[in-house]
Amino acid sequence: MRTLRQLALPLALIVLWEILVALSGSPRAPRPSTTALKAVEMLADGTLLAALATSLGRVFGGFVLATLLAVPLGLAMGTLPVVERNLDPLVESFRPIAAIAILPLVILWIGTGNLAAVTIVAYAAFFPILINTIAGVKRIDRSLIRAARTMGISPLTRLRTVVLPAALPSILVGMRIGLGIAWTAIIAAELAVGAKAGTSGGIGQMMFVFYAYSIQLSGIVVCMAAVGLVAMLLDRGLRALLARAFPWSHP
Amino acid sequence: MARVGGLLVYLRTMAIFALAWYGLSLLVGSRLLLPSPLLVLDAVRQSALDGELLRNAGISLLRLVLAVAVAALTAIPLGIAMGLSRAWRDAFDLLVEMLRPVAGIAWIPLALFIFGIGSRLPIFIMFYSAFFPLVIGTAAGVRNVDARLLAASATMGVTGVTRIRHVVLPAALPAIMVSLRLAVAASWTAVVAAELVGAPSGLGYAIEYYRSMLATPTVMAFIAMIGVLGFLTDAGLRALEARLMPWAKDIRP
Repeated sequence: MRTLRQLALPLALIVLWEILVALSGSPRAPRPSTTALKAVEMLADGTLLAALATSLGRVFGGFVLATLLAVPLGLAMGTLPVVERNLDPLVESFRPIAAIAILPLVILWIGTGNLAAVTIVAYAAFFPILINTIAGVKRIDRSLIRAARTMGISPLTRLRTVVLPAALPSILVGMRIGLGIAWTAIIAAELAVGAKAGTSGGIGQMMFVFYAYSIQLSGIVVCMAAVGLVAMLLDRGLRALLARAFPWSHP
Repeated sequence: MARVGGLLVYLRTMAIFALAWYGLSLLVGSRLLLPSPLLVLDAVRQSALDGELLRNAGISLLRLVLAVAVAALTAIPLGIAMGLSRAWRDAFDLLVEMLRPVAGIAWIPLALFIFGIGSRLPIFIMFYSAFFPLVIGTAAGVRNVDARLLAASATMGVTGVTRIRHVVLPAALPAIMVSLRLAVAASWTAVVAAELVGAPSGLGYAIEYYRSMLATPTVMAFIAMIGVLGFLTDAGLRALEARLMPWAKDIRP
């Protein structure tokens, strides 16, 4: 009974959507039925999965790069007040600038290839990971650090055995946020490059090509559903993976 | 004293950054690829003087305010209903969870088809980006309202709209304000992409326009404007938060 209540509104909206488009008589407007057929077609000929693979590869590249840069920097800024005080103005100046806003500069400097896409993703994911790493280090129980110091553990060992594990839950939260933002950023970048500067590949450009060159727009809706599904799977997947790898933390 | 010291450190860092940038720009030696900070300052001055900077910033800000206002007026009531009533939660939860992961930006091509190029497209994309953080944050905030408060107000015969206004809303306000800040940030991120692809005006459009004119200093001036406005809107909301609920200092992230 409860499942029925939960399904009622989405189903009603899908039916309404089908009827409204049928009544409007617009040949281009996508409908649920044409979308379902298009989805089957795009899955069968492999185009959808190929576009998703391109975008996902860029996201992972950029995400790994962002993590490798942001976590060490965040650990340094969190543990050493001198570093934090001096770098904070730069971080706070660039953080409010969305990744997509620097796209024109990235195109100018790097072009529109994979490296440019990875750069955009890395920029987008960098700040959430950095901010959460700093916050995680600062929230560590002082007595842990003092105990380690009393026991004569060297600063580097302390970082590895005390600071990093204690800050990990917060770092992982930052990574989850960063991955979500990275996925949005790559779609925006592919879309914008596809719309303005030629080919970019990936799911974002695929959507724009459907808009610009096809008679029937159901392909766009298939891409949108794929974007949502991947976003959900990335979040769930990363959460499950991290819970498995670090059972003591709850990202 | 600490503030003066902080300002000095800030200026020192930014001065070193500007110097490094200046040096690099001399090394690159191309005002198309990497204009010096002085050229960018000059571009800021010029686009401020001819009104382009403020005009486009005003357009983008107006779209932001409209989009977030519509999102708040729809998402907060829905969030309250979903937080208070199981029937509403059951009815809308699946729909919200289906639509939320689809980034607002992914709606741009379909929105181009529905709205065409113009102001309605960025406003829709920004509304969509702001809606879900607000719904989810409000619903969670309302659900976390201390059950004793609700029970006490029910005992005293306070129900319906009065209860929402005087008990639920004040108790959930800190959570709602946090989600409002997230919503504005998400919306502001979306504006650039939406205007870049589908609007004839605004900061996103200006960035793309000057890029195609190869006016890199002006592009950088507009990028800086996006950062400054993003920072200022967040600072404004923070100040509003502190003003509205000075008691909620510890709830703020």
